[in-house]
Amino acid sequence: MKNINISKKSIIVFIAIQVAIALLAFILFGLVPAHREAGKIKAVADLKSGGANAELPKETLNLIEEVRRSEHHEAYLRSTLKLSRKDSIALFIDLNDSIAFLSLKGVYLYQSKISKIKINKGLKKLPYFLRDSLYSGPLQVVEEVSSIEKFPIVVKKAPKDTTEANQSAPSLPIQNDVFVMFSFSNNMVIEIDQEEEELAGTRSAYRQYKRHYRRWFMSESISSLFDQERSGYIYHITIKLPREDARSIYRALPLKPFVVVRY
Amino acid sequence: MNKPDSKNLLMVSLSIALTIGLIYFYLSKSETLKEAAISFYSFPDYPEALAGKDSVQLTKKISATEKRIFALQKKIENLWPYDPYLIINTTRNTFVLRTKRQIIREGICSTGSYILLDAGDGQQWIFKTPKGEHRILSKVVDPVWVKPDWAFIEESLPVPSVNDPDRFEYGSLGDYALRLGDGYMIHGTLYQRFLGLPVTHGCVRLGDDDLKIVFKNLQIGSKVYIF
Repeated sequence: MKNINISKKSIIVFIAIQVAIALLAFILFGLVPAHREAGKIKAVADLKSGGANAELPKETLNLIEEVRRSEHHEAYLRSTLKLSRKDSIALFIDLNDSIAFLSLKGVYLYQSKISKIKINKGLKKLPYFLRDSLYSGPLQVVEEVSSIEKFPIVVKKAPKDTTEANQSAPSLPIQNDVFVMFSFSNNMVIEIDQEEEELAGTRSAYRQYKRHYRRWFMSESISSLFDQERSGYIYHITIKLPREDARSIYRALPLKPFVVVRY
Repeated sequence: MNKPDSKNLLMVSLSIALTIGLIYFYLSKSETLKEAAISFYSFPDYPEALAGKDSVQLTKKISATEKRIFALQKKIENLWPYDPYLIINTTRNTFVLRTKRQIIREGICSTGSYILLDAGDGQQWIFKTPKGEHRILSKVVDPVWVKPDWAFIEESLPVPSVNDPDRFEYGSLGDYALRLGDGYMIHGTLYQRFLGLPVTHGCVRLGDDDLKIVFKNLQIGSKVYIF
């Protein structure tokens, strides 16, 4: 009987601890970053609007929307021109027309149709003028996680004799699945995933990518806890492309490439 | 003093393990937690300076922006080469020969294998096609391949002197070659079955008919984009 009482108490304590951990986790990893980010946005929004939030007629709001859209398009084209002066391939993601393309010195090299776009809640809620100005770019990739190598190098030892040399047939590259994550210095992440649900390669390669991705996210969450300057909230865009297009795009891009997004 | 029984000890250990597991779980799900938390916040989309303008002023602003967009698009279009140019995709091993307005020819090619040949003694070669913007430096009919050292090492043959007749191979580059510099070329191949695969030592190999059209359309100075 005594034993049963103790285990009941233990169970209650155990559940209480779990609930407390869940709450604490939600506060630390959810509410704190979201609150910090909201504070930052509100400060900028108030500054930009002078605190005014006028009630406007629908026609005016529609026109404002159109002005905003065309100004964003203009900014996007200016980014294209700006990057055309650089000597490296840049990635352009046009969410408006659902295309991703590569450009070098203003010349379009390759284009792929985006089959699916996923934008996280924070980015959707962000005031347009902030999203268009701060999260459009050109943004330079700071870190990346990928399921494929950038340079699929195969090391081959020189053959010892002519018999060995004659035996070597061309070895073809292993075509793994393509999942790529680019992170930027402005709390933004762009994920490029293959649209094919069925994996071409091994499940372990996919799991390894997911593990790396999760590890990156966890380290961001932890480091933002101790750094008051960082909000810890991550703006996230995921686009899905055909596997081979995603591979071509990723391999074409240099290390730390520039990315431009049109919303 | 009571001795803790093994059952309780096991319970405590299990609870600690579960708690640590749970912390890790929440940490790994921090993205979901942030998404849930941001739902509690909303931001008005302030129309800022635009709110003070009437519909006539806004319409004027739109047409002014549209004009600037048109001018920018023209500027970007002017960056595209006017003469035929070639785009090579080294991942898919495909090419597109095009002008500003239309595609002249597209098809498969072969590009660098990304093999790193290690001959020991610090001698290494990497067989990759150089990415970026290139220009055709010269055009050759019936090109002769001057075999570099790696071609002999790869076949485990002794490396001959620079002007040794063994260095010169006739017919293996096809009917035409377009030089890109640093020993890289666009040329034909005897190994037509490998077209579409990354098997070359860095050059771009084309099928006979494609090569003929590319050779005809690209002039010295024409641009070649490799990515």
